[in-house]
Amino acid sequence: MTKILLTIITLVFSITNVMYAQTYKSASSNIRFFSEAPLENIEANNEKSTGVLRTTDNMMAVVIPIKSFEFEKALMQEHFNETYMESDKYKNASFKGKINEKINWSKDGEYDATATGTMHIHGVDKEVTIKGTIVIKDGKINFESKFQISIADYKIKIPKAVITNIAEIVDVTMKMTFATK
Amino acid sequence: MRIFTTLTLLFFSLLSFAQDDLLDMLEDESDANNNSEVFATWKTMRLVNIHSTEMVKKNALDFRVTHRFGNMGAESGGGGHTLYGLDNSSDIRISFDYGITEKWQIGIGRSKYKELIDLSTKYKLLAQKEKNAPLTIVAFGAVSITPQKDPDTRYSDWQNRLTYVAEVLFARKFGQRLSIELAPGIIHRNMVTQVLDGEGNTLTDENTNFTLGGGARFMITKRVGIIVDYVHTFSEFRGNYKPQNFYDPFGVGVEIETGGHVFHLTLTNAPAIIENAYLPETTDSWAKGGVKLGFNISRVFQLGKH
Repeated sequence: MTKILLTIITLVFSITNVMYAQTYKSASSNIRFFSEAPLENIEANNEKSTGVLRTTDNMMAVVIPIKSFEFEKALMQEHFNETYMESDKYKNASFKGKINEKINWSKDGEYDATATGTMHIHGVDKEVTIKGTIVIKDGKINFESKFQISIADYKIKIPKAVITNIAEIVDVTMKMTFATK
Repeated sequence: MRIFTTLTLLFFSLLSFAQDDLLDMLEDESDANNNSEVFATWKTMRLVNIHSTEMVKKNALDFRVTHRFGNMGAESGGGGHTLYGLDNSSDIRISFDYGITEKWQIGIGRSKYKELIDLSTKYKLLAQKEKNAPLTIVAFGAVSITPQKDPDTRYSDWQNRLTYVAEVLFARKFGQRLSIELAPGIIHRNMVTQVLDGEGNTLTDENTNFTLGGGARFMITKRVGIIVDYVHTFSEFRGNYKPQNFYDPFGVGVEIETGGHVFHLTLTNAPAIIENAYLPETTDSWAKGGVKLGFNISRVFQLGKH
């Protein structure tokens, strides 16, 4: 009995260990969004996002704290949080999905890749496929993806009075680095 | 022994289960590290009459134009022939306030009322946070000087032109809609009046008075809210002096934020816009029609990096 138990424990331990070893957390990240509108361009950066990557099944997830977007104008940042993103209620945006291409994670290389999964912004879930590049070099995995978000898709309302100030489509650039060593 | 095995297995299966949802893992972490400051307790640095705990952001300039028309009621000099006070102006003030840091701002303003020029400063002592910090606390101080022509000899000492105000503002935002503030303060006037009370006694106004203000905002939509405030000046003189009544300033208004501007449409019995003047000198009463329509426009310019 004890023997069986020990075997099971060892087995479970080794499995979780394996899973651990192949789940990587992001070491650094930068999420930037940019929107061009008639009156003024709006740009913000976020360095506080975190991601995980599980190489065993190509799954990845990214969590973006909304309040950590930094704008050039403080008032714009406040309005972004208060009236548009309602970040007290919807603290994080996220993406969880599967990388569709076969990637050799243990070897240096460059890939054009796509990921399909759920984009979660402003409390709304949407199935999306985003495009990007994956560069594996010196024990580091770099992700870079550029995609567009239509703010109407996520039920972010713009009052008529400021509609010319804000673009309907926002360009998002997401960069994330995972260290495998 | 059997139970032990089952428990161990259960434990490990739970562990790997939790591990399985990558998103949960991150979200838990993100929420745990999250104790951010509560923002936008107020939309702008004043309610109707009192200062709010809102600060001008670092390197930003808040340009404000505030206007108070004349008394609306006929009993207080208003009525139809002045279009309910619109023909008159009790006070007009233009001001600039600048954020030196996120926690410290300075300002200068000029009022029509007694031609007052005021210098003011606010310092944020504590910011309300989601956890462990229930209040925002801001210290406010202002000094005003009147450059009016001397009608007699009252300004023979130039220091008689000065009035000082200091307040500590305590505010809390309750959810998305409601913010409440309490504002105890002190006012010191270098020069006060001496009057006869009608029964042959001489009464002297106090140089120093304690004051207590309170205010609130309730948001109706994300951009439109109702603001109210009230201030009481503790004064024995004001209680004893019969020929002239003093009243506590009470203001109510609508606040509209349009993205770049904050507009206030207000009703108040205060004759002046700054504390240094309305705290000791409000002699108009709501009950007697001494209410003034007013407005305020605030435009913030970001002059440098915040």
